[in-house]
Amino acid sequence: MNAPNRSELFVLEDGEKAVEIIEDTKIPNAATIKVVKEDHTLANMLRAQLLASPSVLFAGYKVPHPLQPYSILKIQTDGTVTPADVLTQSCHRLIGTLSTLEAKFKREFSFKDVEGAAVSEDPYGVPSTGGPTWPGGRDYLDF
Amino acid sequence: MQSSADLEPTVRIRELKKDRVNFVLENVDLAFANSLRRVMMADLPTVAIDTVEVVSNTTVLPDEFIAHRLGMIPLVSTNCDEAIRNNRDCTCESACEFCAIPLSLSVACSDNRTLNITSDHLQYDPAVFDQSERGAEGDETAKRIENFGHPVGKNDPSVPPVLICKIRKGQELKVKCLAKRGLAKEHAKWSPCSAVAFEYDPHNKLRHTTYWYETDSRAEWPLSDNAREEEPPRDDEPFDFNAKPQRFYFEVETDGSLGPQEVVMKGLQELQRKLANLVLNAKAEQEPELANGVLSGGGDPGTNASGPGAWSVTAGGWGASSAADGSPAAAGWGGSPAVTAAAGGWGTSASPAGSGGWGTGASPNAGGWGTSASPAARGWGSPSQQASGWNV
Ligand SMILES: [Zn+2]
Repeated sequence: MNAPNRSELFVLEDGEKAVEIIEDTKIPNAATIKVVKEDHTLANMLRAQLLASPSVLFAGYKVPHPLQPYSILKIQTDGTVTPADVLTQSCHRLIGTLSTLEAKFKREFSFKDVEGAAVSEDPYGVPSTGGPTWPGGRDYLDF
Repeated sequence: MQSSADLEPTVRIRELKKDRVNFVLENVDLAFANSLRRVMMADLPTVAIDTVEVVSNTTVLPDEFIAHRLGMIPLVSTNCDEAIRNNRDCTCESACEFCAIPLSLSVACSDNRTLNITSDHLQYDPAVFDQSERGAEGDETAKRIENFGHPVGKNDPSVPPVLICKIRKGQELKVKCLAKRGLAKEHAKWSPCSAVAFEYDPHNKLRHTTYWYETDSRAEWPLSDNAREEEPPRDDEPFDFNAKPQRFYFEVETDGSLGPQEVVMKGLQELQRKLANLVLNAKAEQEPELANGVLSGGGDPGTNASGPGAWSVTAGGWGASSAADGSPAAAGWGGSPAVTAAAGGWGTSASPAGSGGWGTGASPNAGGWGTSASPAARGWGSPSQQASGWNV
């Protein structure tokens, strides 16, 4: 069969470059960034974060074809910072947001006990009451 | 966007149950909230039955039908990213205890009645491995909980098992299955979520949708429960075309393979891993020799609690895969001690560029690069040269 291996959708091949930055030759301070093996999940979030930066004039992304596992980000800046640097900054902002959110989720989860069972946490944040089983005497239809 | 960027994101869990969590996420961008939804559905590893060897099947269902039904059975996947390795990354011949969970099922009906074959009949059975050959030693098996890879709810009388097939007298089903780690991007059977509900702007103040109606859309479209959380629009309210969605209502429902808490937390970590990977690869693409600077100056991998744990696992993975391949291109990645170190160094640097170990790199075109004695490192030179332009 000639079907491509499905894991090619998200696993980098040997020697394949994960990121390619192509400088735009016609527009100043603009670049096209090809992110291989990533889709809307990463690119759309980045696009939104890039647009929040005052030095970004344009940010857009596309996944050119659903069967080709890469996405493209186009960035133009006002010249105070290169597109690649503003991309890095945006990534760091998002990571910051995500880690504050992670801490807040952790706090919220620690306040909430799963109804009908006392739950303590192990380092992985996994309930230690014997894995994902239902509390005694009930099944999921009762919820 | 500006307004949501100024405020810290907040989260409020409205309900937490064994198989679901309902929460409200505020002060984030729509794209951010949607990425969290997507990552929880499609980017978290779980285990699911992936190969089925049919020894005997005299049931009314064809082999393929049974194999598909077996694949859909949720298996306990707690701490999956540490407890099992990807089958494709394992050095074993076909499958071993580090990269697969062996399960078998053997049921025959000899009475004059209908017998239900269910997920309860699946047994952990190391005999499924056709040889004793194993991949490189690892600590995966030590990181498993007792019932890792077993059908969810097995040996729990309060959980009804999953029906696979019904048989009558004289029929039997014997199969050998291998459950493997995977992502829902490859097949939906690997999704830890059975559903993720996602809603914002329940009153449609932002007009992101248009309701079809016979005579009166308000009478014909009932409001969702989330509408109680928000002020209904006044009749004379002008449309605010600058408004952005601020509040997102989630309900993450899992199939039991992972708990709802693990799904949310691992989702956040996976997003951070993706971003950190992008930063690192963009850096390598622009200024390959910086990897050297990191080697000497690199930061402390342990200081950032956010991503690096899971993340350096990935970085290490590259090293392993490229080491196996002798092609020149792969050699570029083979400088992976540097790449791995960079993952650690990255965590400590608060400022995006140049801090810590990165800064020690020479200018992009420094000749020093070429003099590098390490054959692995040489790979960087040619493919990335054009990228150096960025720093000038
Ligand atoms: Zn193996």
